[in-house]
Amino acid sequence: MLVLAEVTQFESLVGVNPWTALFTFCNMIITFLLLKKFLFKPVKKMIDERQKEIDDMYAAAEESKTAAAKLQADYEEHLSEARAERDEILRDAVSRARKRETEIVAGAKSDAAAILTKAEADIAQEKKKALNEVKNEISSISVSIAEAVVEREITEADHQRLVEEFIGKLGETDD
Amino acid sequence: MEVNGPKIYLQINGMNIITQTTVASFTVMVLLCAAGWFLGRNLKKRPGRLQVITEKGVTMLYNLVEETMGKHNAYWTPYIGALFLSSIGGSLIGMTGILRSATSDVSTTLTWALMTSFLVWGCTIKNSGLKNFLKGYINPLNIVSDIAQPVSMAFRHFGNIMGGGVLMSILYTGLAGLSSLVVGAVRSNGWAVTGVTALAGAALLLVGFKKKKAALKIFGAVFAAVAAAAALEKLGVFGEIPILEVGIPAVLSLYFDIFSGGIQALVFSLLTMVYVGMACPPSSSRK
Repeated sequence: MLVLAEVTQFESLVGVNPWTALFTFCNMIITFLLLKKFLFKPVKKMIDERQKEIDDMYAAAEESKTAAAKLQADYEEHLSEARAERDEILRDAVSRARKRETEIVAGAKSDAAAILTKAEADIAQEKKKALNEVKNEISSISVSIAEAVVEREITEADHQRLVEEFIGKLGETDD
Repeated sequence: MEVNGPKIYLQINGMNIITQTTVASFTVMVLLCAAGWFLGRNLKKRPGRLQVITEKGVTMLYNLVEETMGKHNAYWTPYIGALFLSSIGGSLIGMTGILRSATSDVSTTLTWALMTSFLVWGCTIKNSGLKNFLKGYINPLNIVSDIAQPVSMAFRHFGNIMGGGVLMSILYTGLAGLSSLVVGAVRSNGWAVTGVTALAGAALLLVGFKKKKAALKIFGAVFAAVAAAAALEKLGVFGEIPILEVGIPAVLSLYFDIFSGGIQALVFSLLTMVYVGMACPPSSSRK
């Protein structure tokens, strides 16, 4: 018999109604399943995903930091190597330049000396040549003067002898 | 004043199929599922304000479960959360005044307590075998404890919420009586008394506001309200105004309905967590 109970009807204060218990059980299960599906799982998933993303980001940052540090170390090493190399090259160049300098100077000195010697020899040669010319000139002038003065009083042979004596005297005084 | 159980809405063959508790628990379920669906949809990697609060709450629940039951039992969180929310919702629904708290019916709390017990038994059988489970009952005290456990859980929760409700209704009845006494005394003694009461109330309020004393303000407000109620009753605007029911019940309701409901929900969930957690030890220590 179905009775829509009057509102004034109450259950006892302390009593277990199996129907209420059944409905409560079903409601609890439904609440649990729906909350799990719609609230707990997605929210937890989202939190975990975000956490993972953050962890990944930190890991990536750490990685790139290490890479940068390594790069910097490499760079610094290269730099110091280059610096050492540069110093080496510079030292080498300087020493080579010094060597070359002394060589050039020495060469120049020897060249100069050679030129000087040659010049001196040339001068001596020229002097000798000039002297001979002067001798010949003077002898011919003397002959002509003597001819003019003596006017055939001496023979050709005498003449020649006289000239040579004269030149010999000249050479003696000149030296 | 009467203290009654839940109202009966539908009776078939003398069985109370649908009662106030059924409706209350159904309402709580619908509200919780709707709220859960609303909060759980449109989740974003960069959360809005609501999502932050939701995530905070879910994280807190997960942390609570992990701390109480161990990390390996974190998957129990949805059930514990549903239980906690149903319990707190079932207690708070009584504050609507239309429905009775679902948790102030033993049928509800005993069902939840028995669910906990069955979970414990199920976990024990699953983790240590039926033989070991039955071996536990060689000591007959264990049978007593297994019966006492759900009963104590159920009656603790039920008693607290029901007691709070009863206390609140006693308080309302008492205050209504006191109110009709005081207002009646002021009303029946002529306009002079009403006027004096109103003036006293106004003076007390004024002094209270000047000196910033809460007690004076409250007394002034009560005097003024009593005078106003008396005047209104005298003029025949209202019949009887239970003016003193304003204020005190609000403060006590804060304790009996909200605080007590929260505490009982927490206690119930914590006990469930502890019992189930003990039945589900970490896999390394399983036999």
